[in-house]
Amino acid sequence: MIRFFIIILSSLLIFSQGRAQSDQWPVPEDEAERLSPFAFNDSTREAGQELYDLNCASCHGDPGEGNYANLDPLPADPVSPTIQNNSDGALYHKITEGRGQMPAFQNVLTPEERWFVVSYLRSYNDGYVQEVAKEVIKKGYKGLIRIMMDYDAGQNRMISKITGIQDNEEEPISNARVRLTAKRYFGDLTLDGEKETDSIGMVAFTIPEDLPGDSTGNVHFRIALTEQELYGSAKKDTVLKAGSPVMAPPLNKERAMWNTVWKAPVWLLISYLGAVLLIWGTIFFIILQIREIFLIGKRKES
Amino acid sequence: MALATPNTNHQFEEKAASDIMQPVGLNIKFHAWMGLLTLVLMACLYAYYTQLRDGLSVTGLRDYVNWGMYIANFVFFVAASLIGMLISGVLGLLGFQWIKPIARIAEIIAVAFAAVAGLVIVSDMGRPDRLPFVFLYGRVQSPILWDVTVVTTYLVLSLMLYYVPLLPDLAIGKTRMNQSHGWLAKIYDILSLNWKHYPEQYNILHKAVRILLILIVPTAFAIHTVTSWLFAVNPRAGWDSTIFGPYFLTGAFVAGCAALIIAMYFFRSNYKLHRYITPEHFDKMGKLLVLTSIIYLYFNINEFLVPGYKLKEADAIHLHELFSGHYAPLFWGTQILGLILPLILLLFKPMRKPLPVLIISFFVLAGAWAKRYIIVVPTMEHPYLPKQYVPDEWMLYQPTLTETAITVGSIVLVLMIITILAKLFPVIPIWEIEEKPNQTSNQTNETS
Amino acid sequence: MNEKSQSTPEGNDPQKEARNKSRRDFLRRFGLAGAAAAAGGAALYSGYQYEKAKGKSEMVRVLTDDNRLVMVPRDQIQESKPDQAFLQKRGRKGLKGHRWVMVIDLSKCRNARQCVKACQKAHHLRPHEYHITTLEMQDGPNTAPYFMPKPCQHCDNPPCVSVCPVDATFKRQDGIVLIDNERCIGCRFCMSACPYSARMFQWQEPFMAEDYEENPQPYDVELNIPQAKGTISKCLFSADRLREAELPYCVSACPNGVFYFGDENEDAVTNGTTKETVRLSALLKQNAGYRLMEELGTKPRVYYLPPKNRLFDFDDQPSSYKGDNEEKA
Repeated sequence: MIRFFIIILSSLLIFSQGRAQSDQWPVPEDEAERLSPFAFNDSTREAGQELYDLNCASCHGDPGEGNYANLDPLPADPVSPTIQNNSDGALYHKITEGRGQMPAFQNVLTPEERWFVVSYLRSYNDGYVQEVAKEVIKKGYKGLIRIMMDYDAGQNRMISKITGIQDNEEEPISNARVRLTAKRYFGDLTLDGEKETDSIGMVAFTIPEDLPGDSTGNVHFRIALTEQELYGSAKKDTVLKAGSPVMAPPLNKERAMWNTVWKAPVWLLISYLGAVLLIWGTIFFIILQIREIFLIGKRKES
Repeated sequence: MALATPNTNHQFEEKAASDIMQPVGLNIKFHAWMGLLTLVLMACLYAYYTQLRDGLSVTGLRDYVNWGMYIANFVFFVAASLIGMLISGVLGLLGFQWIKPIARIAEIIAVAFAAVAGLVIVSDMGRPDRLPFVFLYGRVQSPILWDVTVVTTYLVLSLMLYYVPLLPDLAIGKTRMNQSHGWLAKIYDILSLNWKHYPEQYNILHKAVRILLILIVPTAFAIHTVTSWLFAVNPRAGWDSTIFGPYFLTGAFVAGCAALIIAMYFFRSNYKLHRYITPEHFDKMGKLLVLTSIIYLYFNINEFLVPGYKLKEADAIHLHELFSGHYAPLFWGTQILGLILPLILLLFKPMRKPLPVLIISFFVLAGAWAKRYIIVVPTMEHPYLPKQYVPDEWMLYQPTLTETAITVGSIVLVLMIITILAKLFPVIPIWEIEEKPNQTSNQTNETS
Repeated sequence: MNEKSQSTPEGNDPQKEARNKSRRDFLRRFGLAGAAAAAGGAALYSGYQYEKAKGKSEMVRVLTDDNRLVMVPRDQIQESKPDQAFLQKRGRKGLKGHRWVMVIDLSKCRNARQCVKACQKAHHLRPHEYHITTLEMQDGPNTAPYFMPKPCQHCDNPPCVSVCPVDATFKRQDGIVLIDNERCIGCRFCMSACPYSARMFQWQEPFMAEDYEENPQPYDVELNIPQAKGTISKCLFSADRLREAELPYCVSACPNGVFYFGDENEDAVTNGTTKETVRLSALLKQNAGYRLMEELGTKPRVYYLPPKNRLFDFDDQPSSYKGDNEEKA
């Protein structure tokens, strides 16, 4: 009994520690100060509700109902101060990055969609007054982004130069975050991490030696600027022979017990058919013999 | 290979022919018995109709235990049918003469069980209407295809082994047919294929029978080995065994001997064949049952001791269930009442007299059936991964009434086939007894 | 987003839901043919007057089954629905050049069973009929319990396919083990052969039998719909979704990032929750990935990442631990 009590006590302790940790989810200051680029309204809230129901409700429950999942740390009810005391930017950051059990939604929801979700969450906060970002428009690059790619086969590197054309003048885009991805069947595979352009707008990625391509080694690459709110969806695609050729045969090519009858092991086909032919051939021979008995009787009679 | 020499022992021949032909023909007892069987069969067919209508959900089978009573019954039928090969094939080829009066009874059992075994498998199928697919799209890699092939082959061989030695008897019988059975005489006439007892005909007959006997030995081995492979090829504790082939085969001989003894007893007393099926036969069959039981016991020890020694996790769960768990009463009942006690009792000569050996055979046969059940079901109840999130009744297997009725129906069918064959045609080969008048009459003298 | 909408509980009536879903599915699957026909029809109307003035020979663009864009004279367009023979041929052939692979991260599973629900919805199954299920596992009396999603392992040496007498279950070139319930004779040998208990049988009329009767549809072997009484049903790796470059139903339904799915040939798997794509080899290497019952030699195409540093507690003792029955009593 005492042991049982101790177990309960210690697990309570662990539990409360877990709770304590959950209260601390640090958000970088500049992230926390981030503001939505658009004003929240009924249509953003509606869109947000739809996204919330699909992606969040299975853990956080229905807002105000308190029917969130019993996890550690506890996923808070959206109505609770635990969530509403966050700044817009902090909420946006947490949705984007995730933590522990909470998955990151940066590849699932677009930045706009993430703001929709924030918009929906705020609809449960009566005292909330939105502050819309004004400088976003200022910050955004107004010119035309141009991405150039060059493949260095010797070092198996992809070098890219990013320039912008504004007012008929070309300038390097520096300190921009860039990602090189290889196209895969269900999504894009990031190669060599996210990098920043240098002062002349150059960035270089090392392509893994063993990156599988198609049967000739072709890989579909994409270079994209990740800060969409600054540069829009600037990207450039190319197909290059930079991967290792993959010529994996079909998985059902070999003769095997599990394959179709036409691809059965040869010894099995021979033994099965051999045995069947032998036995049924003999049975047929005996049927002929029985016929002979009949014929003998008939012959002798006449 | 002595040829029949007509008119050597005319008196005996007359007596044997009239004795053996005496029960042939349809009488009131036959009609009553068949009527009863038909009534039971109708009820069982209704059960099968509900299964066709509502699917296999009418059985106790579910996703974990997906094979149950039907498959156990199928294995039992295949096992029982092997006696035809043991008696005619093995003992016949070795030159034992005493088997001659009981060889045809053994073949009748073989034909009946092998024929219905196929139907039992069909009753287990979710889509029996697609049976032709097995022939249209058969995969030679599947043990089911091997099983279909060998069961068919065995049935054909058994039928031929029944029919070919029947030819002389049909010729003898048609001349002695009762007036009221003119239609039967006609059937005899057609089926006897102009048999006139010519030496040339006997020559061919002996040759054909010999070839058939040689063929049936490997076929019978194949049929039951392949049936055991239906289980042994699956990676599951309790089935994953390399000795399943011989284990099943020897078990089959035990079951078949018991079935034959029961049939012998029945025909002897009902058909008044005491002169031809003698206590000597029961004694010898009793000894044969002891021999097969000893070999079967030996395989049983192998099958349970070796995994029991190592106690690999999955095997341990399985054996625990058999030895002291849910299946312990059935398991120990089967092993003790159906194998060990019969084996010990039959070592004593008084126990090999017709009546005691009959009673023992009933226990052996019932044990043989239950043993198949124990081989099939407990293994399925213990898969490698846990059984969860399913209704409680899916966890353990409990055969339903419908399922039992369909199984009873298959046994009724076997009895019907045996009855019809044994009532329309002589159950003892007249001509072969004529061949050896002295030996048989000696035996007869001994008993009287 | 469409895939998400199928994975969450929306309505109160699951049957109705599933029926709607099936219709949506139906439209989606045949959307290609439908859209082409509709476009053709609309154009035909507007083109009618055009034709009067200009004569016949106008061409329209049509997308063919093998994804080629071709030009067809408008007056030769005929409406077409994929028939069963076409679906069978396509389904048995599989997708060329791929080797599908699934990775299940046991450390992230909290037994939400969203994968199970999405699967049952897509394949018209009752709540206790499973293509995929989650299990409460404990390997030994003193080892940590964990939750384990268990789909068909799509083995490269599949014992179930070996024993099938009629080629009803088969392995495709892309590794998927499918079941053709138009061929299955219901012998259930495959169920007996599967060490993972991955297969199910339609013991009674299927869940949506009435709906199938009202709205007959050709059998799609890649979706195993309509389900059929007296035949086997099993996990298909959502072959119909893979054809459209979408993740399987269970994978995209998981709220906790448990599932990765991808192509071994590309050495990449994509997480169904976060949509993050990673190298398969690196994922398995860094997390010590393993396969179930490797000793049986079945060579599964499903990998598991060990339940290390688990994100979710296992509250209750699982009911499932098989050994040491006495200990519990």
